[in-house]
Amino acid sequence: MTCEEFKRVLPELGSGHGIEQEEHLKSCCACSDLVADLNAISKEARFLQGSEDPSPWVWNSIEVALRQEGLIRQPQLHPQTPAPLLGWRLRWLVPLAATLLMVFGVLIYQRGTGQPQMSEQHSPPAGVVTANLQPADVMGGEDLQLLKTVGERTPSMRATYEADLRSVNAYIRDAEQSAHSDPNDEVAQQYLRNAYEQKAMVYEMALDRSLP
Amino acid sequence: MTDAKKRQGDGLSEADAIERAKQGDAEAFESLYNLHKRRVYSLCLRMTANTAAAEDLTQEAFLQLFRKIGTFRGESAFSTWLHRMAVNVVLMQLRKKGLPVVPLEENIETEEETPRKEPGADDPRLAGSIDRMQLQRSIASLPPGYRMIFLLHDVEGYEHNEIAEMVGCSIGNSKSQLHKARMKLREILKTSRAEKATKP
Repeated sequence: MTCEEFKRVLPELGSGHGIEQEEHLKSCCACSDLVADLNAISKEARFLQGSEDPSPWVWNSIEVALRQEGLIRQPQLHPQTPAPLLGWRLRWLVPLAATLLMVFGVLIYQRGTGQPQMSEQHSPPAGVVTANLQPADVMGGEDLQLLKTVGERTPSMRATYEADLRSVNAYIRDAEQSAHSDPNDEVAQQYLRNAYEQKAMVYEMALDRSLP
Repeated sequence: MTDAKKRQGDGLSEADAIERAKQGDAEAFESLYNLHKRRVYSLCLRMTANTAAAEDLTQEAFLQLFRKIGTFRGESAFSTWLHRMAVNVVLMQLRKKGLPVVPLEENIETEEETPRKEPGADDPRLAGSIDRMQLQRSIASLPPGYRMIFLLHDVEGYEHNEIAEMVGCSIGNSKSQLHKARMKLREILKTSRAEKATKP
């Protein structure tokens, strides 16, 4: 077998070679080197599988989409199940985190509009939210469902979460407008990601992570 | 390790996570995502050679998977199902963008067609000296069609018959493209090593 003949059949050969090809490899350094190199490339390539990590916002976006599509459902309430002690210990963090989120959202909004605006939780930012600020207009079905669940568990927290959701929804709309008006604006894209992350955080706090 | 025995740090097995995800459990979805995100994202990143596109495709692949998780009956491994879906998402995207999935007419000059050098002592084997970073860069520089077949076969471990079905080509074509991709990579790696050696 000549080198030309060997190279012609090489693409068809799997991991093993026939007797004729083996004989040729024993007597031909060039073809033997070639096969060794191709095998080394193939072997090394396998180590590249799963070697890169996506950024955290990929999961946040997936989670938001799953909630919007209703694929993530509200956890069932089990009154007879004892609440985890850790949940009670950390419960005080919920209003604190919610307040921080709200303040952060207002600050972001004020930076975006350049208008001094004192935080009136139930007055929507002008130009961002439509005139009728009824919950059904501002919040989607998932938001209302969340508020219902929170209201059933801890009625005193409902108003706080409602304000948080309004704030974060306004933030998302604002960020979406900026991102749509200039899709190449990296800052606007980052704002949008932050907005989605904040909404995911509100949901996370409202559901089984902080509340017992 | 079998798929059923795969476990996350929180002790939730993959099988449990699948069942809970079917019920709409948020933690189960996240657990499945964490188990498979690296492989799916790496695949998307290498196929597109673009971080933003890879993240979008990763998101799309997982969303498609989670939308259909109710239909998963466990006849095949979950990871097989997921990765096949990820490949399909990437292929669909590449086709939408008009990028070639299989290069039928590409004529890349590889060492096969170039005049052979005499086997000399200064042209040692690559084996044992392949730098992984350099290999990554070399793969990224391959034409899209060659890159696709190489990634599916040598990185992801698909067989030629599976690749032929996924990308819509013949088994012979898949074998031929893979061989050409490997030859091209060998050439790039050798050139790179030679350049490195001549640098002071």
